[in-house]
Amino acid sequence: MIKFTIRRLLITFPQLILLSVLVFILASLMPGDALSGLIDPDIPREQVELMRERLGLNNPWYIQYRDWVWAMVSEGDFGRSIFHQRPVMDLIGDRIWNTVWLSLMTVFFIYAIGLPLGLISGRYNDTITDSIITGYTYLGFATPTFVFALVLLYLFGFVWPVFPTSGSVRAGIPPGSLDYVLSKINHLVLPSLSVALIGLVGTVQYLRSGVIETKQKDYVILARSKGVKEGKIYSRHIFRNSIIPIAAFFGYEITGLLGGSVIIEQIFGYPGMGRLFLESISTRDYSVANVLILFYGFLAIVGALLSDIILSIIDPRIRIK
Amino acid sequence: MAENLLEVNNLTTSFKIGGTYFAAVDDVSLTIKPNEVLALVGESGSGKSATAFSIMGLHTKARIEGEVNFLGKDLTKFGPNQFNKIRGGEIAMIFQDPMTALNPLMRIKAQIVETLTIHGKKSKNENEKYAVELLERVGIARAEQVAEAYPHELSGGMRQRVVIAIAIANRPKLLIADEPTTALDVTIQAQILDLIRELQEDLGSGVLLITHDLGVVAEMADRVAVMYAGEIVELAPVREIFKNPKHPYTRSLLTSIPSEEQMGGKLHVIQGVVPALHKLDRTICRFSPRIPWIDASEHEENPELREVEEGHWVRCTCYKNFYLKETNAEDLAELENQELERDAVGGNEDEQ
Amino acid sequence: MSNNILEIKDLKVHYPVRGGFFNTIKDYVKAVDGVSINVPVGTTYGLVGESGSGKTTTGKAVMGLNHVTEGTIMFNGHELTGKGKKVDNHKDIQMIFQDPYSSLNVRKRVFDIITEPLNNYESLTKAERVNRVLELLKIVGLPPSAIYKYPHEFSGGQRQRIGVARAIALRPKLIIADEPVSALDVSVQAQVLNFMQEIQKEMDLTMLFIAHDLGVVRHMCSYLGIMYRGRLVEEGTVDDIFNNPQHLYTKRLVAAIPDIDVDHVEKNLVLRNQLKEEYEQNFADYLDEEGRAFPLQQISDTHRVALPVRS
Repeated sequence: MIKFTIRRLLITFPQLILLSVLVFILASLMPGDALSGLIDPDIPREQVELMRERLGLNNPWYIQYRDWVWAMVSEGDFGRSIFHQRPVMDLIGDRIWNTVWLSLMTVFFIYAIGLPLGLISGRYNDTITDSIITGYTYLGFATPTFVFALVLLYLFGFVWPVFPTSGSVRAGIPPGSLDYVLSKINHLVLPSLSVALIGLVGTVQYLRSGVIETKQKDYVILARSKGVKEGKIYSRHIFRNSIIPIAAFFGYEITGLLGGSVIIEQIFGYPGMGRLFLESISTRDYSVANVLILFYGFLAIVGALLSDIILSIIDPRIRIK
Repeated sequence: MAENLLEVNNLTTSFKIGGTYFAAVDDVSLTIKPNEVLALVGESGSGKSATAFSIMGLHTKARIEGEVNFLGKDLTKFGPNQFNKIRGGEIAMIFQDPMTALNPLMRIKAQIVETLTIHGKKSKNENEKYAVELLERVGIARAEQVAEAYPHELSGGMRQRVVIAIAIANRPKLLIADEPTTALDVTIQAQILDLIRELQEDLGSGVLLITHDLGVVAEMADRVAVMYAGEIVELAPVREIFKNPKHPYTRSLLTSIPSEEQMGGKLHVIQGVVPALHKLDRTICRFSPRIPWIDASEHEENPELREVEEGHWVRCTCYKNFYLKETNAEDLAELENQELERDAVGGNEDEQ
Repeated sequence: MSNNILEIKDLKVHYPVRGGFFNTIKDYVKAVDGVSINVPVGTTYGLVGESGSGKTTTGKAVMGLNHVTEGTIMFNGHELTGKGKKVDNHKDIQMIFQDPYSSLNVRKRVFDIITEPLNNYESLTKAERVNRVLELLKIVGLPPSAIYKYPHEFSGGQRQRIGVARAIALRPKLIIADEPVSALDVSVQAQVLNFMQEIQKEMDLTMLFIAHDLGVVRHMCSYLGIMYRGRLVEEGTVDDIFNNPQHLYTKRLVAAIPDIDVDHVEKNLVLRNQLKEEYEQNFADYLDEEGRAFPLQQISDTHRVALPVRS
């Protein structure tokens, strides 16, 4: 298991390097740089050139790339945002926790609501309850997240203002107090629910068909012939076996959410990674954008690894030697 | 004479096809005594497995009529909780395909302990020890290690031994074995059959052996019930079935098996196919369409199972003047043509 | 020239087993490990063994469906393996599969299923093709009305006969039948076996019949090869194998067949237990240090056995 993880991470390495080169080249091919939008037109051209020279923006891309990587590896320096005039890591550090909380909340809702729904609709398939649940999943597939988010926002933010409509915490509470935590959670509910309620339809459908398939398996009949009670049949034999396809996506799901959602963050004015990415691109702040893309690539690879590990814990048949 | 362990009376199990119930098991009655092996023989679709599942109460969507008396209690009247007490305890079952009969995500030990926990009140430790003993009992070497293994780490023969270990865990009085060796290689099959017989003699259990393999029947059974299209057509001691078969179906079946005597020669072919449940004419001798050279007057209407010699029961009167006849290939093709046409017409009716 | 249509010499099919940190080849699974078989024209050769013995792998190697590690396969005097591959073996060698349900494409009609191999090798007009299919259906005993039906409209035995019709459409010289009746009921099995014998006679076919059911093999074959872990342990006529088995494995295999004669039950049980004991005590003597069966030795004109080499 450890061997497998190490090997996978080693394979990851060249993938990351390739990704970083690609990202870097693409960024340098883009017209303009961080200075082109920022600088007052009154400043003489020579001075701008001087600044470019000093920032190393005139070097060939491979020199710039080497400097960039070298700074990351040797000093842990991921560069400075030219737009914000702050280290990139500080910028990400501000946002990443917001995104982590939002993702965890979303994952919690997806599985806390999706798993029971899938189980019920699979166990009592072709009943009215099942039809209602599957009807909902079809609706969920057809509804774009942003439309649904706007509806939630309108209903629970304006018509019945139960939840705040923007931000990640109420201003003016000292961090660390109970009030602060509660306010954070309060701000998370709407955005995470609007992602989860749409995002869970896949989980429900996978689980439903998994349960329907598993309950006809020979080992389930054998369990019945042993005298196992119906509830136990589901909890012990059917559930674990039918959750395998969902487990295969669990890692991707988590890391996918960690990337942040541009649309949801925009709608709820939530300061997360998605918005940071959007901003860095629109301001041509490539030092930020590059690190973020690299980070997303890393997440995708970790997600795959995480999925494999989770799967191997659930299913002994693919247990890794 | 010992008391009957199991008495099935007029068991009828029906499944819904297009809104109507059709009987897959039709008025079946049979008995099993302690220490007796009754073989239920038939081809696919004959209703033999459906009979076993009805006795075990494993059908979820079937209508079951008649009585299944086990030690004086009618199982068809049992609710789920009562059934769970008896299933895996006094009645246990061995399944056909060992590759799919074990939960792939549970250790062997856990799957045996599960049945011990339900039917006994011993501690977890004792149950685990007993699980290993059971594995040794069914002839598994290195039982300690096997107990910790997952099903996919074992061969088919080993898995079937595990399934048997689960079945005998609570010393059942009745063992239902549904095609226990069909999926196994021939040398493994012999070992498993020998094991089942040994355990059965050891426990003094009655066994309901369901199989389509007449060789297995000859080696294992004390009495044999032959099923065709949901009905028992012949019921007799094993010797009688093989040495003195009476019903046309039994006789046809016996001559269609490749044997030493007719090596390389032509095998007997039974004309036509087993009719589908919903196309079955239930008022006539159900085998009559497949022996058209026998005159209609030889059959009776609504044929009954009668004791024609002591302990030898036969359905319908057509056995009296029955003779085997080979059908030539062209006639067979013509018959199949008629069937295909009829199915096509039937198909249209279904759609309407 | 011999009259063997198929000559397999020292066939080996090995699959690499990968493992370790760098996923390197650690070992080989020797699915087939040095098998030599000669099949005379017009005969049926039965390849018998338990699952994992390599019988199906051997058949697939002849079909060209898996790669051959070592050894040669000569068909009709042409080599099928290696660089000298000249003949297109797919036309002259056809296969019948075990499962009639999954080996036919459910979305195609019988006409399309049977003409598929024809289209690959012969250019025929539509009318010619229809005639050919009708002819083939007649050979396998199916009515002309079957031509435009789909596989699900047929019973298991009928489907298996459609599979046979497809296999003989190109008038092959060799048919590899991989467990052709093991998924069928006894009465249907009889029909398929009968008619396979008939077409064999009519078309002068040679058959490699792969099966685990010794009763069926005895009925169909003239020569038998018994396989154990990728190697032949005994080869001979049906009479040699059934009435005079020499290898302990063969003896045990033959004794394991359930006999429908109730008078033999006791005797069989005694024999089986006796062989079981012998097997547990002495079977190691029948294998070399690596657990492989010994090379075959000729003990009569037709009978070869992998008896222990006394050194």
